[in-house]
Parts: sequence; C-alpha cells; structure tokens
Amino acid sequence: MQTTERQLVYLYCVTEEEPKLRKVECLADNLYSVHHKGLYGVAGDVEDSEFGEENLKRNLVDLEWVRAKATTHEKVIEGIMEDTCVIPFKFGTLFNTNDGLKAMLEVYGEEFKTILGELKNKQEWGVKIYCDIQRLKSGIANRQPEILEVENEIKSSSVGKAYFLKKKKAELIEQAVNKKINQYGRESFGLLKDLSSAARINKLLPKEVTEREDDMILNSAFLVGNDSVHDFVSLANSLKTQYEDVGFSIDCTGPWPPYNFCGLPKLRGQNG
Amino acid sequence: MDNITAKSKDVTLLEVLDRVLDKGVIIAGDIVISVADVDLIYLGLRVLLSSVETMERIRGAPFPSPMQEAT
Repeated sequence: MQTTERQLVYLYCVTEEEPKLRKVECLADNLYSVHHKGLYGVAGDVEDSEFGEENLKRNLVDLEWVRAKATTHEKVIEGIMEDTCVIPFKFGTLFNTNDGLKAMLEVYGEEFKTILGELKNKQEWGVKIYCDIQRLKSGIANRQPEILEVENEIKSSSVGKAYFLKKKKAELIEQAVNKKINQYGRESFGLLKDLSSAARINKLLPKEVTEREDDMILNSAFLVGNDSVHDFVSLANSLKTQYEDVGFSIDCTGPWPPYNFCGLPKLRGQNG
Repeated sequence: MDNITAKSKDVTLLEVLDRVLDKGVIIAGDIVISVADVDLIYLGLRVLLSSVETMERIRGAPFPSPMQEAT
C-alpha cells in the first residue's frame, strides 16, 4: 500500500460495509480498500506511465487499452456489488496518494452515506429500445386507411399529380412512424418507471456505436427495488414480445452498479 | 431468474462505456478524465469502426424527439 514514486491511486467505488476483495483480486493488481470515517474506498495502485495525466491522454485513443481498462473498472465494481451497496465512480478517477483519497472521503463522506442509504436494496437496470424503421414503415403503409387512400388515388392520377401524391404519402408515413415510435417509447418507459423508484432517459447512441442494424429510440435506466426486480423484468419481457412483429426490440440488462443514480447533489427529486 | 438478464451474454463495450465514462460519481480527484477526453475515446471507437460519415450523428438521434432528455 505504500505509494512508491511512479504509482497512482485509482478509485473504483465507495462502500459503507467493508468490501470483500477476495473475488475481485484477480481482476487488477494491488487492490485494497481505504477506510475513512465509516466509509471504504475500493482502490488499486496503477502506474503513472499508464494513468498519469499525459500518458492517460495518449492511452485513451487506444481502443484496446480502453476496452481492457473499462472492463476491469466495471468488473471490479460488479464484484464488490455482489456483497454490498456501492457508489460507482467514473472511469479514471485518480489520486496521487491514499491521503488524497481520504481527503475526498472527508469532504463528501456525509453525502456518500446519504446516497448509499437511498441505494440500499435497489438495483440499476438498463433498458434500450430499438426500432427497425423499414419494417415499421411497411407495416404502417399497408394498414393505415389514410395512407391506403392516397395510394389508391395515385393509381388513378396523372403523372404530375401522382408525383405530389407520392410525396404526400411519404410524409404521412413518416409522421405515422414518428408517432408510433414516440408512443411506444413513452408507453414502455412509463410502465417501467411505475415499477421503479427512479428513472432516467439518456442520450441515444448511433448505429455505428451500437453495432446494430436498427435505430435506438430509447436509452433509459431505472433504479428498481429488489422486491420489484422480478416484475420489472417480466414487464420488459412482455413488452418485448408484444411489439416484436412491428419492428421494435427491447434490450434489458442488469443489475448494473447504480451509475445513473448516484449524482451528488441531484439524487433527491431527480426525474421523480 | 428470468432469461432476460442478458448482462453476461451480450453486453457490448458500448454498454460499459456508456456507463463508466459518462456516469458514476464525478469528483475532482487529482486526475479525472475530462469531457474532451471522453470525446477522444468515442472518436477512437468510431475510427476503429471505420465509419467516417457519421461524425455529427453521434450527437444527434435518428428521431430527435421530446423523448430525448435535453442535456
């Protein structure tokens, strides 16, 4: 635990109960916990040559490095979370020495305890909804009377008129698609939120990042009481089957460390 | 419990990065990855996925709608 010259202290998470490190020791070198006034910081020594300010910047553009380190970050926190409630920290939170970490625990200690109290017996779940827009489009084009009407009109129109009617048809489909996406997203989010103690909507991610063919239409996170997890997952399952055929798909993952529900000043009253 | 707990099965790097880079408690440690640094990571990610024409899409949604939180 001594801080030799080229070492930095990497903070993973904070707990109130003493964390059991045995499970996670294999994931990273030199893991330990730092105790200060009723809180534990789960930390590890890392090399300055990797995580020092300039070196870190260089490493962050190396996807394989990021992949390995972000995975370790996540796995360590998940391991600790199996036994006790955690406040997960952002990837790459570093201190020069253990004293720096303790000083931080001194400053925010009371707030951390409040947050940990709120998170007790709850789990974070993530729900992402995707839409195969082409599939949804064709379903709508074949079903909506308004659109079918325009379609018929096109058949009996002159070339010039048909051109404008086709444009109109495309607009109607676009509108209907947007409406359907909003409606489905809202309804699903609302129902899942009803089973949760808190919910958040996050930024949508583009296809190039999701590596999926369909478009993300909702990226959300929920804080769910342990007692409600079963119902929550069942609901996500039934929403999944309900609209599968028209082109929606739901991706429900968890339990995650409560990354979305440990904002310092915001925890209370955020998003209801 | 239920078959939907897909966590171990197909959690992509994205799922992890989406959380560990943007969320979690952000406290001024002696060193903290800045927003600009996070952009670097996503940039690296996208270069590797060899998608060039999507530069602006990472911030926009396919259907920008009231469902998206204004952040």
